[in-house]
Amino acid sequence: MSVLEVDGLTKKFGGLVAVDDFSFEVGEGEIVGLIGPNGSGKSTVFNCIMGIYGVTDGAIRFNGTDITDDSTHEVVNKGLSRVSQESNPIDSMSVAGNIKLFTLPNSIVSLRGGASEEEIYDYAARIDIEEHLHEMPDELPHADVRRLEIAKSLATEPEMMLLDEPFAGMNQAEITELADQIERFREQGMSMVVVDHNMGGLMDLVDRIVVLNNGDFLAEGTPEEIAENEQVQEAYLAGEGL
Amino acid sequence: MSSETDTGRGIGGRVSGAAGRVGGAAVDGLSTVTEPVDRALRPIATVYNRTLGGYFGEMNGLQFVLLVGAFLGLVTIPFWGNYTLVQATWLACIWGIFAMSWDIQSGYTGYISFGHSVLSGGAAYTTAMLLNNVNAELPMRITIPISVLIALIIGLAIALPSLRLSGPYFSLITFVAVLIFYRLIRPLSEYTGGETGLGGIETVYSTDPVMRTYAFMIPMLLIAAALLIVARSNIGLILVAIRENESAVEAAGINATKFKIWSFVLSSIPMGIGGVLLAHRFGTVTPGAFVVVDNSIEMIAMAVVGGMGSILGPLGGAFLVIMLEDVVLSGFESEIKWSILWLIVLLILVFARDGLFRKLWHGLDRLGGDRR
Repeated sequence: MSVLEVDGLTKKFGGLVAVDDFSFEVGEGEIVGLIGPNGSGKSTVFNCIMGIYGVTDGAIRFNGTDITDDSTHEVVNKGLSRVSQESNPIDSMSVAGNIKLFTLPNSIVSLRGGASEEEIYDYAARIDIEEHLHEMPDELPHADVRRLEIAKSLATEPEMMLLDEPFAGMNQAEITELADQIERFREQGMSMVVVDHNMGGLMDLVDRIVVLNNGDFLAEGTPEEIAENEQVQEAYLAGEGL
Repeated sequence: MSSETDTGRGIGGRVSGAAGRVGGAAVDGLSTVTEPVDRALRPIATVYNRTLGGYFGEMNGLQFVLLVGAFLGLVTIPFWGNYTLVQATWLACIWGIFAMSWDIQSGYTGYISFGHSVLSGGAAYTTAMLLNNVNAELPMRITIPISVLIALIIGLAIALPSLRLSGPYFSLITFVAVLIFYRLIRPLSEYTGGETGLGGIETVYSTDPVMRTYAFMIPMLLIAAALLIVARSNIGLILVAIRENESAVEAAGINATKFKIWSFVLSSIPMGIGGVLLAHRFGTVTPGAFVVVDNSIEMIAMAVVGGMGSILGPLGGAFLVIMLEDVVLSGFESEIKWSILWLIVLLILVFARDGLFRKLWHGLDRLGGDRR
């Protein structure tokens, strides 16, 4: 059964159609790559799923529940979490504090609560930043700031994660390491959608790739099929190639 | 004020860089003297940290002495202060309530309100109008709750439509709310008393001389304790996170709008209490003393002087400003006095943007040497 269903999603900004009648599904424990040239609408799809943008048309379901009109915190509390493209930690709070924020209950009368120090350590350890818990985010190297974003997402105890360009700005060694960690999440039963504009980091990681071009569905298949697909190659010719 | 909650330092720490290094050398020299003092006091502070520290924030020996000393000095003021000082203390307690109330909403969430005097003014006018238009015999146990409730309703009426807006729009709406309130007083003078205001409110002078001070001080201390507990809890953490990065709060599964409205509730109730106390301080409610937008700006000034986003900083700021105004500078005529006061505020804004009491607090933290 599909965990996430995006059905006929359309998003218009004024006269501009950013996403046009786009559908895809993600099954339990699956890692799906969502690729497309820059500006093809990948992040817009994520923003619509997460309730950051209202959709123009179409429906989004998570575990069979309609979440099309939910706001961001409602989507998160249903078990869907997004690691955004931009790193935006709170600079005045330590790494541990940033993770803790993501465990706090959404209740105006809850004075205490949230994760214990051990639980925060565990979230950090799942992505290997437990050494940095007491450092401030602006003291961390780029790759660790990206990992902090993933730790925050893990702290909301998601069933599914949406990873938006997780490998951006990383060197090859860091990409390999992160891909291994993402693979481990899958072994723990997490479903994932990984957005990237090229297939480099995704080839060995994902089960299936969905290609988006100019807001439209272009192709779908295994990484090998997509790499061979002529339509996909053409779409990328104008850009930087696969 | 543990490091976890005193989150302003991240921003301010960088601003005061160079000056901090020069001062740092002096502090390091001083700490050879103060460290033993801190060590001697630490056992008492440790008892506090283990029992109440979790609610109000942990501190070292020196910080503990500063706070307990200030507290004892304050509660004994009727016994050692002269009349000028005691009277200034009444007002400082009320303005302390205003500054702390402003802080839990504006200082913590970063949604700066320029219109908080509409809340205190609304409560004060409710008390006055109930006594003048309904029944002059109404007891305080009826007028006070109604007045605080009205402040809360005004607060929600401002917060619900405006907190979805960001940036200057929220601030402008709060500002306009005061202007509307102020301008409505004259056309409705049949009920509001117009420019001369409404009298007939029982004043503090009808109570026992010693109890007069506590009539203002006890509410202030209770509000300070309540707001501190909130500010040092998850709620304070979330409010600060809203100030620093609202979208991260939503991504954490937390409804940021709900918490922003809650901060306005937490602010409106004590603002109402302060407004009622001010009405009973003077016995007469006038637009000039209770509503005018200058009042809102003075609350902000007090909070900034003390250190916004810390509850106790704004409280200290209120005492500092009122003591300067009513005791230290009381010889000057009003215009000169306020020019000097605003100049001081300006200097603090330029040279100690974190606020004086936050600076003092962190200074004591360093003087105390390593904790534990």
